[in-house]
Amino acid sequence: MSGIDTSPPREVAGPSEPQPELPRTRRLRTLARADKSSLVGHAGATPYVLSGPSILMVTALLVFPVVYAVWVSLFDAEFIGGPQEFVGLGQYTALLGDPDFMGSVGRTLIFVTGVLVIGVPLGLVFAFALSRATGKLRFLRGITIVPYLISGIATAVIFRLILNRDFGEVNRVLGFLGIEDVAWFSDPTLAMLASMLAQVWSDLPLVILLLLGGLMTVDAELLDAADVDGATGWKRALMVSIPLIIPQLVLATILLSYQALTSLGVILALTGGGPVDATRTLPVALYEAAFVDLETNKAMAIVIVILLFNALLTLGYWLISRRFDLEEA
Amino acid sequence: MTATTVADRRPVSSPEARVKRWLRRIFIGIPLAALAIWTIYPMLMTLSISFKTKADVSADPGLIPANPTLDGYRSVLERDGFQSAFVNSMLVGLGTALLTVVLAVPAAYAFARFRFRGRHLLLLFTLLPRLIPALGLMVPLYRIAVTLGAIDHLLTLIVAFTGTVLPLAVWLFVGFFQQVPRELEEAANVDGASLYSRIRYIVLPLAFPAIITIGVLAFREAWNEFNLVLGLTSSPGSRTLPYELFLMTQTTGFQDNPGQAAFAIMTIIPFIFVYLRLERYVVSGLTSGALK
Repeated sequence: MSGIDTSPPREVAGPSEPQPELPRTRRLRTLARADKSSLVGHAGATPYVLSGPSILMVTALLVFPVVYAVWVSLFDAEFIGGPQEFVGLGQYTALLGDPDFMGSVGRTLIFVTGVLVIGVPLGLVFAFALSRATGKLRFLRGITIVPYLISGIATAVIFRLILNRDFGEVNRVLGFLGIEDVAWFSDPTLAMLASMLAQVWSDLPLVILLLLGGLMTVDAELLDAADVDGATGWKRALMVSIPLIIPQLVLATILLSYQALTSLGVILALTGGGPVDATRTLPVALYEAAFVDLETNKAMAIVIVILLFNALLTLGYWLISRRFDLEEA
Repeated sequence: MTATTVADRRPVSSPEARVKRWLRRIFIGIPLAALAIWTIYPMLMTLSISFKTKADVSADPGLIPANPTLDGYRSVLERDGFQSAFVNSMLVGLGTALLTVVLAVPAAYAFARFRFRGRHLLLLFTLLPRLIPALGLMVPLYRIAVTLGAIDHLLTLIVAFTGTVLPLAVWLFVGFFQQVPRELEEAANVDGASLYSRIRYIVLPLAFPAIITIGVLAFREAWNEFNLVLGLTSSPGSRTLPYELFLMTQTTGFQDNPGQAAFAIMTIIPFIFVYLRLERYVVSGLTSGALK
């Protein structure tokens, strides 16, 4: 806000100011050059004043905490609140040798893979159907986004209810099919599956809308040509559309992995990491180290490990966006 | 049989074509129905359970409750912490939306209109939220807030959420500002309008949809965020709705299902309401934000 109040009046004259008595053509050329880059060209302190607060804020709240986490992760304390002792990469080597931690890395990989295996094909089918939905059915597009508006905790509560062993709707349908008494939250494998389903439900709108955007750009004439050649329905979708939306498919895959990798609320509220440690993924391990065991140094090391995994995904995302020259958004 | 009658009525389309058209309709219709069920049914069931009595949750399988009751909602409203969490969520949501817009507009204007050293930071802005998700900030911000004595303050939450939303907000605003024709501003410039007047009377009115979009985006972030609330609040009365709902699932377990359903519904409804009213502004912003 301060940026606006201190706007220096000298900018007012704008691009024509430096050469007020120049011939008209020259002035126009100056204007045109300025137009390509900026309204007022090099404008002294103004842009710094305008963008400064945001840059400071982002530095303080996004960049600094990570640097701080790296720093703290290089220390250790013998007991909670005890004196900090420099251990270098000791926390990280300890994590590598810790079966509990390595287990949570493995479960994270399983969780992310499962979310992808369920989410990408489902999103593709739904997006394809939506791209063919015409007339009144278009309202479905508006509804599709709704799960994305719901918090992870509320999503978990919804899935606790519909997957409930006694009265859950899913078990009623399964019972109808002859599969009785499925204990979603006491069987380790099923608890993992339940977490994956809730996670997919929460993030599928993004996948659908991303893929739908890709499908809408697939040339209608191309599809008609395929139609003439006798390709219909799913065959047409597979043979014609999918190769054309590979960039969106890859981005959707990375987006889902990213969401699954950093998902804490859904799992914590759905299974609490259990039964025993069946759904104790990296974020849950981080939560326990920081807020249950109060091992701050170890928690910071886990933060960095998660951020490294995350950086790999971001790098992939960035490279692919550039490679395919995708319109951002 | 049907194919022949259809062919009789419409001699133009052969039976095979008719069958094909039906097949195509089914190929599209089944996944569309599945999508509708997948998206809406879990929410409908939750809504239904929220109006049931505790006993009826397992005794009465119907979607329409046989003995509708508001007990679930009553148990939530009488819960310690719900009302303060609701007020907190509102305040933090509105505060985050306001602070985000106030900080992002001038920054985005600078990025969109000026050539200055630091412009390349915009690219970093687009990558930072991906590089550093809220989960990564939860523990470090918690330690920093403890050191600063900032735990349990609503302002801390507002500032933290604004920090996580800001890069995206700036990036989206830059896109909008670049669509505002420079000629308009140049004309005003010639007429002697100051930078402030140009932003206030030309850019902002034209970017109104963007302000709504980004405001809602920031509000959603603050309303739904769980990780940072987990780290930055510790006492009852300072939490927001998702944390309070999480605590309810931990303390009541599977005892009070209608209550948990009612709580979930009450956290969802206000935002759905905002969303429906502002849908035309918001959908593109929300999705571009997430997909960026």
